[in-house]
Amino acid sequence: MKLLEMQHVKKSFDNLEVLKDISIEVEEGEVVAIIGPSGSGKSTLLRCATLLETMDGGTLAYDGKYATSNQADAPTQYVGKQELKEVKSCFGLVFQSFNLFPHYSVLKNITDAPIHVQKKDKAAVEQEAKELLEKVGLLEKADNYPCQLSGGQQQRVAIARALAMHPKMLFFDEPTSALDPEITAGILNVLKELAKEKMTMVIVTHEIDFARKVADRVIFMDGGVIVEQGRPEDVIDHPDNERTKAFLQKLTD
Amino acid sequence: MWKNRAGKIVKNYTIKHLIVLLLLGSMFAGVAAGCTSKQKSRENDATFTVGFDAEFPPYGYKDENGEYVGFDLELAQEVCNRNGWTLVKQPIDWDSKDMELNSGTIDCIWNGFTMNGREKDYTWSSAYIDNSQVVVVKSETNITKLNDLAGKVVAVQADSSALAALTGEDATEDNLKLAASFASLQQMGDYNSAFMNLQSGSVDAICMDIGVASYELKARGNSFRLLNDHISSEEYGIGFKKGNTTLRNQVQEALNEMLADGTFEEIAKKWEVDESICLGQEGKDAVMKQEESDGGKNSSVSGFFDILGQLAAGMAATLVIFVLTLIFSQPLGLLVTFIRRSKFTVLRWIAKIYISIMRGTPLMLQLLVVFFGPYYVFGISLSSSYRFYAVIIGFSLNYAAYFAEIYRAGIEAVPIGQYEAAEVLGYSRSQTFTKIVFPQMVKAVLPPVTNEVITLVKDTSLAFALAYTEMFTLAKQVAATQASIMPLFVAGLFYYIFNFVVAYVMERIEKKMQYYR
Repeated sequence: MKLLEMQHVKKSFDNLEVLKDISIEVEEGEVVAIIGPSGSGKSTLLRCATLLETMDGGTLAYDGKYATSNQADAPTQYVGKQELKEVKSCFGLVFQSFNLFPHYSVLKNITDAPIHVQKKDKAAVEQEAKELLEKVGLLEKADNYPCQLSGGQQQRVAIARALAMHPKMLFFDEPTSALDPEITAGILNVLKELAKEKMTMVIVTHEIDFARKVADRVIFMDGGVIVEQGRPEDVIDHPDNERTKAFLQKLTD
Repeated sequence: MWKNRAGKIVKNYTIKHLIVLLLLGSMFAGVAAGCTSKQKSRENDATFTVGFDAEFPPYGYKDENGEYVGFDLELAQEVCNRNGWTLVKQPIDWDSKDMELNSGTIDCIWNGFTMNGREKDYTWSSAYIDNSQVVVVKSETNITKLNDLAGKVVAVQADSSALAALTGEDATEDNLKLAASFASLQQMGDYNSAFMNLQSGSVDAICMDIGVASYELKARGNSFRLLNDHISSEEYGIGFKKGNTTLRNQVQEALNEMLADGTFEEIAKKWEVDESICLGQEGKDAVMKQEESDGGKNSSVSGFFDILGQLAAGMAATLVIFVLTLIFSQPLGLLVTFIRRSKFTVLRWIAKIYISIMRGTPLMLQLLVVFFGPYYVFGISLSSSYRFYAVIIGFSLNYAAYFAEIYRAGIEAVPIGQYEAAEVLGYSRSQTFTKIVFPQMVKAVLPPVTNEVITLVKDTSLAFALAYTEMFTLAKQVAATQASIMPLFVAGLFYYIFNFVVAYVMERIEKKMQYYR
């Protein structure tokens, strides 16, 4: 079943065309890694998918619920506020720079939105938040503030915060690029754990190793189009396309 | 020895402190240098500096051409001509006249200067004008005699002879009773604002010198009239620093000459005060003669605690302005910030222009506009209680503009990622502001807000522009009556302690917010 469906997405900044008619579908339980050089449009695609950026053209739907009118050829028309809210509850997003709320404790960072946005019972939400913290190995930091945590710890709290909203799928925007390499392993383990639980995930990354180890499918983007996609061992180890080859070659140098 | 000490200073106090000390030192040096050079020039040149209130026609004022002219100034010019001096016309703040005179920055006060009640405070010339205090009211009012003033709001100039005649130590029984019957007695900085107050209805009558009154009435047309009853009779003289009889004698001699050859009367006619002149009449030099026999005795100066008691009401008034301004200007500032950040260009521009005007014009002018605007623009008659509201409104509007810009900077300092995280988590716009942005903004704006709050403590003294008696106005008045600068020191101490407390409290709040970065 298709959880995410984006058709014919177009996006320009001023006169610079960043996304040139991109279509992408993600199945439930699938883990997709999007790789590509900077400026390839991979982050813009993710921002369009998470509604942080508006699309100029194309359609967007989660689990069959449309965030736009279902006309791929016309300029994008977004649906009403109430329907958008419903669409937004389908996904979570983990940022490159974590974006934790600095004035809230670790626990409150995780529980505040479920309590005040989703209006869930406070005690139940806090119980669950503690379980999530235990899962990412940070239960003892529940009462600390983000500034007292390392980057890797903050990123794990950010993942717990996204999970507490019970999204159908999770997006990761360069989740490890603000972190030291040895910290990356910890994040990778959390993602592997989530993949095992069949969490649907889309990860924008430029760490090829990361993509190889966690993804079911790798999409290589360049110049605002999808150049190549397939199983990690095919795209990463035996790329067909010259541009993919050049990109991977540069990374291994 | 010296070297050792210097080394120690650097160690203990750090370079920053040293720089501050150096700056302070050079400032004092500069002030000291300024003082000595000034004194020197006074010895060399034969200048004669007359201190006068530049808003006191016909005795001394600024005419249409921007020249200082008047009866007294013309007399002074003639005296200078006869002595071969150069006349310097120095407009002064009336409340500070004693400090000006005692510090030597002026040689005399020559400006319709009432002798009655001040006989022992100065070395006087002989009286040259016999003046009375009269009451000016609006033409259409039904006030016709002094008794009608009961329950009315009456204005006088601060530290003027009218004030002394009504409430001073030497005031007569009748006058004290009369003053007690007023609803209130307002002290104004100058006659122009007194007349603006009268015209706009926020005061019902003004007590003032007859000479000034007849000049003002002539200049302002027939919308005002005088009551037939006068309040008290008084005489004008030229006041010199106590003990400076040499200079006084030189001036007196020239005046006597001018009287003898008719120049004095000629000048008096020109300024239409000839009916009041009394120079040379019998007994008019009594004060001058008296001093020569009893030698200079100083009037008593109150102690620190007396002054504190006298200033207490002003301190309360200052606190009230301070607290109310903070209560109103902070939310108003936040509102202006919202408008300034609005989606609508028109609203954004309105906020921009508002902020620009509030920051670009003097607070004192804004206070005057708030107070007199309703009458002069819309013709609304003002009640006396509006004075207080105008002070609070004026301060709040002004400070709101400054707070708005501080808040805006604080809001813009919150990273875009915070908004995006909130959006993805489904927070509404208002939730995003109240839960995420506002708390972080508060922390960011605390240091600049502290600066504004401290400035506000000192700015409260500007309320004097609307004749609202706060701390500093009162201190100046007390200083003028006692001819002492002690009340000003007490006022300075009050502001310093006030600000010390403010800074301490703000520092505590800042520390409390340090739990996150």
